[in-house]
Amino acid sequence: MSDPGLTGYLVLSAFIFCCGVLCLTTKRNAIGLLMGVELILNAANLNLVAGARYVQSLKLDGQIFALLVIVLAAAEAAVALAIFLNFYNNRSTVDVDDAKDLKG
Amino acid sequence: MNRFLDLANHPGRAYAVAALLPLLPVLLLAVAATVRNLARCRRHTDGSANRIYWLLGGDQPLKVGGYLAIAAMLGSVALSAWGLMHLSGEPAGKLDPDRWAERGEWIRIGATKAEASAVSLQLGYRIDHLTALMFTMVSVVGTLIFVFAMGYMNAEAKEHLEDHAIHLERRGRFGRFYLYLSLFAASMLNLLIADNLFQVFACWELVGVCSFFLIGFYYERPTASTAANKAFIVNRIGDAGFLIAIAIAFTHFGTLNIEDLIGAFSGGRPASISQEMWIVMGLGLFLGCAGKSAQIPLQTWLPDAMEGPTPVSALIHAATMVAAGVYLVGRCYPLFSPEVLLVIAYVGMLTAFVSATIALVMTDIKRVLAYSTCSQLGFMMLALGVGGWVAGLLHLLTHAFFKALLFLCAGSVNHGCHHEQDLRKMGGLRRSMPITAFTMLVGVLAIAGTPFFSGWYSKDRILSAALGFSLDHHEHALLFFVPLIVAGMTAFYMFRLWFLAFTGSPRDPQLQPHESPAVMTVPLIVLALLSLGVAWGWPLWNAEASALGHVLEKAEPILRTHHLAEEYHWLAGGLALAAAGAGAGLAWAKYGRRAPTPAHLAEPRGFLAEKWYFDTVYDAVFRRGTVKAAYASAKFDKAEHAKSLDGTMNSIATAAARVGANARKVQTGLIRQYVFALALTVLGLLGMLTWLTK
Repeated sequence: MSDPGLTGYLVLSAFIFCCGVLCLTTKRNAIGLLMGVELILNAANLNLVAGARYVQSLKLDGQIFALLVIVLAAAEAAVALAIFLNFYNNRSTVDVDDAKDLKG
Repeated sequence: MNRFLDLANHPGRAYAVAALLPLLPVLLLAVAATVRNLARCRRHTDGSANRIYWLLGGDQPLKVGGYLAIAAMLGSVALSAWGLMHLSGEPAGKLDPDRWAERGEWIRIGATKAEASAVSLQLGYRIDHLTALMFTMVSVVGTLIFVFAMGYMNAEAKEHLEDHAIHLERRGRFGRFYLYLSLFAASMLNLLIADNLFQVFACWELVGVCSFFLIGFYYERPTASTAANKAFIVNRIGDAGFLIAIAIAFTHFGTLNIEDLIGAFSGGRPASISQEMWIVMGLGLFLGCAGKSAQIPLQTWLPDAMEGPTPVSALIHAATMVAAGVYLVGRCYPLFSPEVLLVIAYVGMLTAFVSATIALVMTDIKRVLAYSTCSQLGFMMLALGVGGWVAGLLHLLTHAFFKALLFLCAGSVNHGCHHEQDLRKMGGLRRSMPITAFTMLVGVLAIAGTPFFSGWYSKDRILSAALGFSLDHHEHALLFFVPLIVAGMTAFYMFRLWFLAFTGSPRDPQLQPHESPAVMTVPLIVLALLSLGVAWGWPLWNAEASALGHVLEKAEPILRTHHLAEEYHWLAGGLALAAAGAGAGLAWAKYGRRAPTPAHLAEPRGFLAEKWYFDTVYDAVFRRGTVKAAYASAKFDKAEHAKSLDGTMNSIATAAARVGANARKVQTGLIRQYVFALALTVLGLLGMLTWLTK
C-alpha cells in the first residue's frame, strides 16, 4: 500500500470538512447538526495528525492538539445533547428552527 | 460731595440731581416691597421675619410711598426753580456749555487703545431754556398730579377693595402705583436733560414701559391689559424708526451727542451724508416721535390708554410723556430736512383734524379728552413743521397745564360720580361739584383759545406761523385752513363736554355726585391758575409778548419765523377767535341753551364713532393678517411633503427607520443561514487571498 502523501490527507480532510459544513447548512435536525460539527472537528483532527506525521518540525504537537480536540468535542457533545434533551422535553421535537423564543 | 455739587460753576448739576431724585422713592419702595414679600412667606415660622413683616406695613399697602414720592417731586420742583432762576441770570446769547452741560464716557465700543477710531456711548446732561422750561413743567404738573392721586387712589390704600369694573376683590396697590409714577417721573426728567440720542432712547423706553405698567394698572380687567399691550406694541413700531435714525446718525457722524449733530448740520447738509440718508434719518426720528406723540398712523393707542387710572392719563397720556415726541422734534429740529418738516406738518394737520372729528361724537368724558390730546399734539407738530418752533413748544407747555387740569377735573368727576364716565348720564354737576365745574371751565376756555388764557397765546402763534407759511407757499394753503377749522371744532367739543356734564339738570337719578376732597380740589385750583396765567406777558393782549415765549426764543435753534407771520398776525388771530367763537356758540345752542334732546344723547354711530375705521382696518390688516400668516407658516412648517422644513427632517428620520427595518431582516435567527454566510465569507476571503498572493 503506497503512501498517499500529505496532499492526499489534506484533500480527504477538506472533503470531510465540506461534508460537515454542508450538513450544518442543510439539516434542521439538532442531532444532524451535531453530526456535522463532529465531521468538521474530525476533518481538523485529520489535518493536525497528518501535519504531525509529515512535517518534521512539528514533532508531537499535532497529535497532542488532536487529542485535545477530541476531548473538547466529547465535552461539547455532552453539553449539546443535554440541551437538546431538554429542548425535546419541552417541544417534543429537535427541529432547531423551533428554537426562536428569544427572537425579537 | 462738595466738589460734585459745585453748583456755582456747574449750575446744570442741580438738574441732574433733580432728575435722579424721584428714583429714591422707587428704590425705597422696591426694596421695602421685596423684603416684605420675602418676610411674608416666613412670618409664621420665624419670629424676626414676622417682626420685619409687620414693621413694613404688614398686609396694608405702602401708603407712605405716596408721601415719599411727593417729597421727592417737591425737591425736583425746588431744584428746577432754582435752576430757572440761575438760567435767567445768564448773559444773553448762547449758554456757556461749560456751565450748563457735561458729559462722560459710558460704554466704549471698538478699539480699546486710546485711539481716535474708538467710539463711545456717552452719558451727559445739557440744559438750555427749552429743557429748563420743560423740566419745570414736568415737575410742577407731576407734583400736582401726585397730590391729586393721593385722593383719587384712596381706595387702593385699603387692604381689600372691590374692582368696580369686573367685581373682583383684591388687595390695594397704593405703593406700587407711586412706585410706577416715580419711576416715570425720573425717566421723563432724565429724558429732558439727556444730551445724546442714545440716552434719550433709553429714557424713551423707560417712560414707555412705565406707561405700559400704568395703563395696565388694573390688569385684572381684560380691557386694561389689552390696552397696555396695544400701547406698548404700537410704540415699538415708532421706536424701530427711532433706532434706524440713531444708527444712521452714528454711522455717518460717529457721535450721538445732539449738540454735535446739530453743529454738523449748521451749514445745511454736510458732505458726509447723502440727501436720501438725511431724509431717512429725519423720517425715522419722526416715526419715533409720532409713536410717542400719537400721530397718524400710530395714534390708535392713546385713546385706549384711558383704561389706566385718571391721574395716569393726566400725567402720562396728556401732559408729559406724549409731549416727549414733540419735545424731541423740537430738540433735534436742525436735523430735519425741509422735506421731512413738510411731512411733519402734514401729519400733524391730519392728526389734528381726524382726532378732532372723532372727539365731536365721543360720549366718554375721558375719550373726548384723549382725542383732544391727539388733536392738540397734531397742532404742535404742524407748528414745528411750518417753522413755528416757538409756537409749537409754547403750545406744548401751555397744553400740559390745561390738559392736566382737564384730565384731573374728569378724574374728580369720575370720583364724585362713582366711576361713571358717560357724559350722557351726567348733567347738572355744577351744583354738586362747583369747584370742579369752575376749574374745568377754565381749562375749557384755555384749550378753546379764549383771549388772555394761556392756550390763546400759543394757538395764536401756531396759526400765524401756519398762515405765514401758506402765504409763502400757496400750494400748502391747507396747512392754514384745516387748523382753523380744527380750532373751531376744539371749542365745540370742549364746550359740548362741559355743557353736557355740568349744566342742565341731572339725567341719571341714581348718580349721587359729591364734590371731591380738598386733596383733589387744591391741585385743580393751582392748575387752573397756571392754565390761566402761565403764558402771560406784557402787554397782555399781545400774543407775541408772552414771557414764556420770550424765554423759549432764547433756545430757538434757527430763526425760520416768516416775516409774513408777524405781519398778518392780527388776521390769523382774528380768524382763530372767530372759529373758536363759532364752535363755542354752536355747542351752546345745541347743548347749553336748553336741555339736550334724546337725539343728542343717542349712541353715536357711523364713520366718526368708528374712529374713521382706523382700529377696524388695523385689526383686519395687521392683527388678523399676522395671526393668519402665523397659522399659515405653522401649517407649512408641519406639512409632510419634503419641501417644508419639518417634512425634510421627517423624511430623513423615516429613511433611517426604513434602513433599520430592512437590515433587521438579515438576522433570521436560523443557524444554518448563519453558517452558510460564514462559509461563503471564508470562501470569499480565501479566494481573495489566493488572488492577491498570485
